[in-house]
Amino acid sequence: MSQVTVPSPLATLRAVFIGYLPRVFQARGWILAAMPLAPVGTAILVSILVQAQGGRFSSAEALKVFHEALLKVLLPVMALTAAPAGVREDLEQRTLPLMLVRPAPVWMYPLSKGLVWFAWGALWLLVAAAGLLFLGASTESILRGALALVGLYWAELAFLTLLGLLLKRGTLWGALYIFLFDPLVRILPGNMQRLTFMHYAESIAGSRSSEVGVRELLAQTQLETPMGIALAALFVFGLACWAACGWKLHRTPVGLSGKDAEG
Amino acid sequence: MSGMIELQRASLRYGDILGLSPTTFSLPDGGGITGLLGPNGAGKSTLIQVLAGLLPPSGGEVRIFGEVPFRNPAVLGRIGLVPEGDRFPSGISALRWLRMMAQLSGLSGRGMDEALDRALRTVGMETRAHLAFSSMSKGMRQRIRLSQALLHQPGLLILDEPFNGLDPEARLELMAMLRGLARDGVRVLVSSHILGEVAQLTDRILLLFRGRLLAEGSVAEIRELLDRHPVELRVNADSGQAVARWAVEHGELVALRLENGGAVLSVRNPRSFLPKLQDAVVRGELPLRSLDPLDLNLDAVFQYLTTDHQ
Repeated sequence: MSQVTVPSPLATLRAVFIGYLPRVFQARGWILAAMPLAPVGTAILVSILVQAQGGRFSSAEALKVFHEALLKVLLPVMALTAAPAGVREDLEQRTLPLMLVRPAPVWMYPLSKGLVWFAWGALWLLVAAAGLLFLGASTESILRGALALVGLYWAELAFLTLLGLLLKRGTLWGALYIFLFDPLVRILPGNMQRLTFMHYAESIAGSRSSEVGVRELLAQTQLETPMGIALAALFVFGLACWAACGWKLHRTPVGLSGKDAEG
Repeated sequence: MSGMIELQRASLRYGDILGLSPTTFSLPDGGGITGLLGPNGAGKSTLIQVLAGLLPPSGGEVRIFGEVPFRNPAVLGRIGLVPEGDRFPSGISALRWLRMMAQLSGLSGRGMDEALDRALRTVGMETRAHLAFSSMSKGMRQRIRLSQALLHQPGLLILDEPFNGLDPEARLELMAMLRGLARDGVRVLVSSHILGEVAQLTDRILLLFRGRLLAEGSVAEIRELLDRHPVELRVNADSGQAVARWAVEHGELVALRLENGGAVLSVRNPRSFLPKLQDAVVRGELPLRSLDPLDLNLDAVFQYLTTDHQ
């Protein structure tokens, strides 16, 4: 009989990441890839058609695609799609117990599995951000936009994974938070804005306060957070969520319930 | 406490439901096979999950290799678990999954490759492990499930209903393999709801029913216990009265009921009664047409034992 060797957290992360990597090539992974590419691809197509007819497609339109479609809608939907593919799905499909009877640190599993989906989603978000170049956006705004996308995806994916572990209908609560709480709090006064994901994402991507028009009368004056701090805030928040996921899984007994464990 | 497995009034609750009543038993260090016998719903899987460190006991104490198993790497690295059921992650090949499991067991480099080869060879899957789980047969997936438990050469191997769904040949192969592992010093704990299955493997049995450990002992002792269970036999004959008369004279009857076309006999010891009955038929003493055992299933026996132990 062999001596027990406990794998390090890093070895655990590497093993799970490599082990689960092929899962991104399933349907969920390709849907995830298509989400950020669709609006940018459509905008590029429209710009080509407009220019072919002698019209002009301004870079402001590119930024609108970025803010309204990518940042506010598709990225949260991507996070909502990817989050259950991590630990939550394994819990529901009962494929986790065989990992839990290993000597590896259990608290690393949520992050390790989540990183697979983070890396895959971030890759396609970066491709989509690069696509904005064809719409006339400046290199600086694209770089800031790419950072905002990746930072926001990191934080939202971690947050939604945590909700999935804590609550039975984590995806639903996550959707409510992102699509109801975030926009609602944005119209409340003062520092309340700092409680939203979007505040930090837009602080990184660049303020749109000058674009706030009459139709957004309810919007408060947009607060500014320096880009570096905003990026750090999203990163630390995400890390805290992954740590909480690890703690929760480590503490929670997970058995072989259901018909597989009837005796 | 000492020994490989030690339970002291260990119990487990699923909310309001008692999955395992306070249970006390121990298994010694060293190789050997122990059968965990009980009908479906007896609490075998619950006990196995407690032993394998998946679930902490709600009360009492569980020690494996002298330590608490739940989330304890020092214990988990020495346990191999083969659960019942057919759950594997989709979209990855068995080999990649096994590699991951080996790494999570602390194996790496050449040692891991050798462990993979050895485990796959043991279960006869060395040429087919590259397949996706979805393209494997049930038997192949069962072998993979077994190989993941052998990767890190555990000192304690726990198998939950491993013979379910296996064809007779695979069943014999698995039995031979488990015997080999036990000879090599591995303590094998195998659960089943079929006494005959377990009896072929081991002479040491834990009898579990409705979350309670009913009995612990050798197969002979358990058989003796089971033999005390009166078995109901329907004897179909031209004359029920004649059967009843003969049974009263020759059988260890607990009860007797006359029916149209025969009689239902409740017999204390069927293993001594049935040869006598056979002889009587051969000698022409009994006008017997057919014989139907009514409650020879294990559930009925366990039901009887539970009543007996109350």
